[in-house]
Amino acid sequence: MKIHTPIFVFFVLSSAFVLRSAAFPSNYLLGVAPEDEIYYKGLWSSGTIKCKDGSKTFTKAQLNDDFCDCFDGTDEPGTSACPTGKFYCRNVGHSPVSIFSSRINDGICDCCDGSDEYDGKNRCKNTCWEAGKVARDRLMKEIATFQEGVAIREHEVEEVKISAANDEAELSRLKNEEKILKGIVEQLKEHKEQIEKAVEKERIQKEQEEKQKKEAEESESKEHKDEDKVDGAEQEPAESTDEDKARIFDNPPPPGQNLKEDPAEPAVEVVHNAHASLDIGEEHAAQEEERSEVAHVSDPNTALGSKGEDATKDIDSLSREELGREIGSRWTGKKPEQQHNDVDDLKNNDETSVNVHDEENDGYDTETDEYDHQHYEEDDAQYQMDNVGDEANDDSSSSYKYEPDEEVDMSDIESTSSPSWFETIQRIVRKFLQAVNPFQTPVDTSEAENVRKEYDEASGKLSKIRSRISHLKKKLGNDFGPEKEFYSLYGQCFESKQNKYVYKVCPFKEATQEEGYSTTRLGQWEKFEESYSVMLFSNGDKCWNGPDRSLKVKLRCGSKVEVADVDEPSRCEYEAMLTAPALCLEGKLKELEHELEALNKEQPQFHDEL
Amino acid sequence: MSSECLLPKPTHISILKNPYYDHHTTDRSTMKSVVVLHCFLGFILLLSHLNSVYSWKKEEFRNCNQTPFCKRARSRKPQHCNLIATDVIIADGDLTAKLITPKENPHEEDSSSNPLILSLSVYENGILRMKIDEDPSQNPPKKRFEVPDVIVPEFESKKLWLQRYTKQVIHGDSADSFVVYLFDGYEAVLRSDPLEVFVREQTSGKRVLSFNSHGLFDFEQLRVKKEGDDWEERFRSHTDSRPYGPQSISFDMSFYGADFVYGIPEHATSLTLKPTKGPGIEESEPYRLFNLDVFEYIHESPFGLYGSIPFMLSHGRTRGTSGFFWLNAAEMQIDVLGSGWDAESSIMLPSDQNRIDTLWMSEAGIVDTFFFIGPKPKDVVKQYASVTGTSAMPQLFATGYHQCRWNYRDEEDVKNVDSKFDEHDIPYDVLWLDIEHTDGKRYFTWDKVLFPNPEEMQKDLASRGRRMVTIVDPHIKRDENYHIHKEASKNGYYVKDASGKDYDGWCWPGSSSYIDMVNPEIRSWWADKFAYTQYLGSTPSLYIWNDMNEPSVFNGPEVTMPRDALHYGNIEHRELHNAYGYYFHMATSDGLLKREGGNDRPFVLSRAFFPGTQRYGTVWTGDNTATWEQLRVSVPMILTLGLTGITFSGADVGGFFGNPDTELLVRWYQVAAYLPFFRGHAHHDTKRREPWLFGEHNTELMRDAIRVRYTLLPYFYTLFREANVSGVPVTRPLWMEFPDDEATFNNDEAFMVGNGLLVQGVYTEHAKDATVYLPKDHTWYDLRSGTAYKGGKMQKIEASDAIPVFQRSGTIIPRKDRFRRSTVQMENDPYTLVIAVNSLGEAEGELYIDDGKSYEFKKGAYIHRRFIFSDGKLTSVNLATSASEGTNFLSDCTIERIILLGHSSKPKSAQIEPSNHAAEVELGPLQIQSGARSSVLTIRKPNVRVSDDWSIKLL
Repeated sequence: MKIHTPIFVFFVLSSAFVLRSAAFPSNYLLGVAPEDEIYYKGLWSSGTIKCKDGSKTFTKAQLNDDFCDCFDGTDEPGTSACPTGKFYCRNVGHSPVSIFSSRINDGICDCCDGSDEYDGKNRCKNTCWEAGKVARDRLMKEIATFQEGVAIREHEVEEVKISAANDEAELSRLKNEEKILKGIVEQLKEHKEQIEKAVEKERIQKEQEEKQKKEAEESESKEHKDEDKVDGAEQEPAESTDEDKARIFDNPPPPGQNLKEDPAEPAVEVVHNAHASLDIGEEHAAQEEERSEVAHVSDPNTALGSKGEDATKDIDSLSREELGREIGSRWTGKKPEQQHNDVDDLKNNDETSVNVHDEENDGYDTETDEYDHQHYEEDDAQYQMDNVGDEANDDSSSSYKYEPDEEVDMSDIESTSSPSWFETIQRIVRKFLQAVNPFQTPVDTSEAENVRKEYDEASGKLSKIRSRISHLKKKLGNDFGPEKEFYSLYGQCFESKQNKYVYKVCPFKEATQEEGYSTTRLGQWEKFEESYSVMLFSNGDKCWNGPDRSLKVKLRCGSKVEVADVDEPSRCEYEAMLTAPALCLEGKLKELEHELEALNKEQPQFHDEL
Repeated sequence: MSSECLLPKPTHISILKNPYYDHHTTDRSTMKSVVVLHCFLGFILLLSHLNSVYSWKKEEFRNCNQTPFCKRARSRKPQHCNLIATDVIIADGDLTAKLITPKENPHEEDSSSNPLILSLSVYENGILRMKIDEDPSQNPPKKRFEVPDVIVPEFESKKLWLQRYTKQVIHGDSADSFVVYLFDGYEAVLRSDPLEVFVREQTSGKRVLSFNSHGLFDFEQLRVKKEGDDWEERFRSHTDSRPYGPQSISFDMSFYGADFVYGIPEHATSLTLKPTKGPGIEESEPYRLFNLDVFEYIHESPFGLYGSIPFMLSHGRTRGTSGFFWLNAAEMQIDVLGSGWDAESSIMLPSDQNRIDTLWMSEAGIVDTFFFIGPKPKDVVKQYASVTGTSAMPQLFATGYHQCRWNYRDEEDVKNVDSKFDEHDIPYDVLWLDIEHTDGKRYFTWDKVLFPNPEEMQKDLASRGRRMVTIVDPHIKRDENYHIHKEASKNGYYVKDASGKDYDGWCWPGSSSYIDMVNPEIRSWWADKFAYTQYLGSTPSLYIWNDMNEPSVFNGPEVTMPRDALHYGNIEHRELHNAYGYYFHMATSDGLLKREGGNDRPFVLSRAFFPGTQRYGTVWTGDNTATWEQLRVSVPMILTLGLTGITFSGADVGGFFGNPDTELLVRWYQVAAYLPFFRGHAHHDTKRREPWLFGEHNTELMRDAIRVRYTLLPYFYTLFREANVSGVPVTRPLWMEFPDDEATFNNDEAFMVGNGLLVQGVYTEHAKDATVYLPKDHTWYDLRSGTAYKGGKMQKIEASDAIPVFQRSGTIIPRKDRFRRSTVQMENDPYTLVIAVNSLGEAEGELYIDDGKSYEFKKGAYIHRRFIFSDGKLTSVNLATSASEGTNFLSDCTIERIILLGHSSKPKSAQIEPSNHAAEVELGPLQIQSGARSSVLTIRKPNVRVSDDWSIKLL
């Protein structure tokens, strides 16, 4: 390859270039960045200069002579001779760039001004004007987004201060209430137990009397036995409830023991319900566990797959088709049934799993209550945006609030809606404690019943308060960023639909991928990374033969909170992008504005030349 | 480490590995912490064993004892064979004989008493061919299968027509032996009683190769099934109906003056073949040649892998090299017998200490064998190449770096990966798409969602000089709406099962049938499928990858096709199994040739292979694993492929299964950059591992490795041409270049690239340096520093950032030191010549250039120069034969730099003729990189054209 100096001439198109390097012939400084021109001045004064890495010196004749003298490429800014060199394209009308020297005269137009292709083999059009326009437009759009976002962010940070303070206040109030209520409940419990002892005592007495009477009044003793039953249920509340449920679900009790035929049934029902509402948080969790268990068990993949995992299994017992799937699954890492689905084009997988999604929704529906709505709407009013994306995008995204598991029905104890509740209960209890004398025999059964009821109610409320406290503690324990700018994302989920999958990102909670009715957990909330520019969800569902799933959400400034571009660059390691005003920083806006300014500065000159 | 730590309980393994257990996170973490607490080291070990839990399922493959023909053959004792040669005549230029059982043994079963026909033919350059088959005049029940389309057509024209034989009595035999001329100084001998065929040196009478010297020859003749014969064979749940009964062949072959034997790929073992049977040898399986899709194969095991080449070489210091090739496509098992294995037999063989005996067993076919006399290593590979052909001249792009993954998901992913190479200034030439690019594993189709615009995608890549490769496998989805299936089933193009119906097996698409590629008509039909009008979405920059062509059948016996399946011409699958993938590869290659009217060199990568594969494309070592051992074993595997004809081969860089440590990945790039086929590939369950994902320093190391490959492409391409002309492989075991240096004979850690570069891999973790044996009588120049090392001893070389590579004294290596995006942009870049002089101050090297893609070179459109340096003068000599009219290949490329290593004087300038101009001589770097400090004698800008005659004299 020969470089003829005259070739250089045709691309010397920028007057700015010529002006700035007026001190020496411009063609020699081909590929030199303006800030570097000064470095080469010595060539014209002393005849030689050092390579930048100090390794050698080179002469004027060696500058851009298409032979690499400096290992770092100092002497060949304009040719491909030094592999480590960089070539500077001015790209007037657009932004200048430094490209690898390997791009020079390689037949591909890398600089929009075409200056990297000068050997005459490939003529490049100058596309800087168009490219620059596109870039400027993009930049202006971004600036607009930032401007909007910065404003929203500012407002939000203010709002968050209030709602965070509210949450803090509520927490300290509830803590206080918890303390008092705890005392009350203990008193009631003691009282109740004393009454129960008295009742028991009375019962034993009666029994003895009955024994003496022997033959008669069997019906009476039966009544007491029913009471026994009730006691039993009371002693281990949560567990028995669940167990009962499970039992009923799994095998209906024999007709003889059917509670519904029991005369004392209404009483049992009451107790049952009371307990049910008592530990609603826990129970919810339990349900959820149960549900996920159901999902796993009912997933035919799991059943067959685990068979597939048995290393010692005799594959000879399989049918030809099963064998094919089994062996093939070794490479794919898929369970044979999954492969089966693939093979059948995933069209008829409706039958493969239970309606987990619906079940989940039902679950949430039953938990939905006024408190949650109120609480969230307050904070998130400004986020109730429409979800129509402004950019053309096949994939839709949307957001919604979720009701965190730990949320409790607080409507009856929520101070803002019923401020007198707390005093009322204290008063009632005091009255009770005075009124009922457990040492009085025979026990006043109606009073005893009242004490028991009062106890149930109080301890139920205590449990709710505790649950709410734990929720608030958990929420406030999160890292919401230096200005709590991510506070409002708590309790929200954002969805993006891509092809057959729906991706759901719930900051501070979890991220999932849904396909039809099956849900895969991509990860649980772990933390922010890279100075609040990435959200990390980790420890998701296990991948066969691979890592636990995880999701990295890259955050970007946007006036709305939206999730997009979910990708799985590596097996089971997902990536997504989320726009949010929280990322719209004033400083970055300034940077962008400067960038645009710089671009615009170049432009008129260039335009004039045309 | 306590002993209980050494062997983790299997239950732990299964618990940890069972993904379904993982739902019970507490249990798992408890288990983990218990293990960690009690035995941390054991846990580490346990983790490292996880792979092996799922690795190779030994019990799913037959061993010799479960393979009746192998068991029978292996249990025979020496002198089993009682055949003698009679009716010896010269006919049609061959020496022929009848092999019969002498009448003295009338009690022998008459079923095997039909005479066999033996013929010996002699070919140019020291090749003896011996065929033994049933006598067609005896009307055997079926014609035994002879493998078609493997021997090159030209071979027949090299036959020397034998005119006469001489008779001789050997060892006081009662019968005559018949001696024919073989080659200058060599003759072939047919000893008739006992039957023996051997090659010997004419004057000394020393044997080179011999057949049946131990009397283990056995030929099971086809016979009609009799009442009560149970010919069925069962393995696991599979039954082989074996309608033709036993038909196996076995015999012993001896190699004389041999220190080691090599060859018979494909096995993940050392370069030298270890004895499998004999005194003091741990009982081993024979080397198996049976093309199989082995899930997570392990190293150091003689089981068969994806391809088979029944070609063995021997090498010894005294005698040199010889070779033996058996053209047979049925399952083969080969024992290398340890010395003394025949101690109890009364056989008297020449008391050659370095004789290596081998036992060859095949399930079917005929004896069609080739004896290669050598005597030099390159002679043997050339002799073998004259039978099965030399390797195809690859396109230049195919010699660059390939980036593959199962799978690059969609067009955006492709674009992104492609742009990252540019972003990091890493050259690469080809981006690959695995099975997921198709519409439901229907080859020749595209997933409409993931790859909606395949043509645009390819054109975009092509605009930066890059190619794409898509996968096309031989299993065809049984789907009535799939055009390939429709045509194939309508035309009866599928392999049939034993009952005559289209064979239905299971592979990626589910229920599949397999194209019957042994039929040339079907191959032609298949080739047409690659036309741009048929393979929609393909463009001229798209090339092909043939996988699963052993064939892999997930629900077949041993994950392949049943042996009683039927091919065109009533050939049983058992007879041609090992060649199935070869015919498929051939048909695909022909397809790419056809689509461009025969002037674009095809690029087709195949996993299965057979003798002759080298003419159709490239192979790789299949589904390896990301371990140091597998990096280590990839070198002997590739060297063995080179010895047996298939020089264009490589291993998946990084290891297909599993996640390589960063250090392992870097080392893998560094070694693989010097191996002929250079492709990164990974299983879909692995983490992404493109070179820029491991931090700046590691990116730099991998980029350096890839760049070194690109700078050496002129050298590689010249070597590919050498292989194309002669059959001598691009990468060679050291002993091929240094056949007299015994220290090299079993060295398979290092290898030669051509005759000029010695490459020593690093196969261990945390290695700061590497110990290298440098062959004697040469000086070796470190490729990076230029430091000279004396040969003949071990040298410890710093190796933390690169593996040790040396240029041998006396060689000249052409390079292109400018890096580009791909080979396409390097076309006009100038060359650098690196001259390493020997003790006489001399050196030689070659440069071959052509258009890098077409067949114009066959008409003489190429540049081929020899550079000779002597007496301080470098001369460029033309080696090209004059081109036919109008087909000159022109190049304006110049030489920008000439580097002199080991030159004693300090010249100031150089005089260039005939242009009569001077060039400066100065000290410069050996390799241009920032921070380079080496100073070597450099002729600056001689700027002579590579296509011209010139000389440069140092002044």
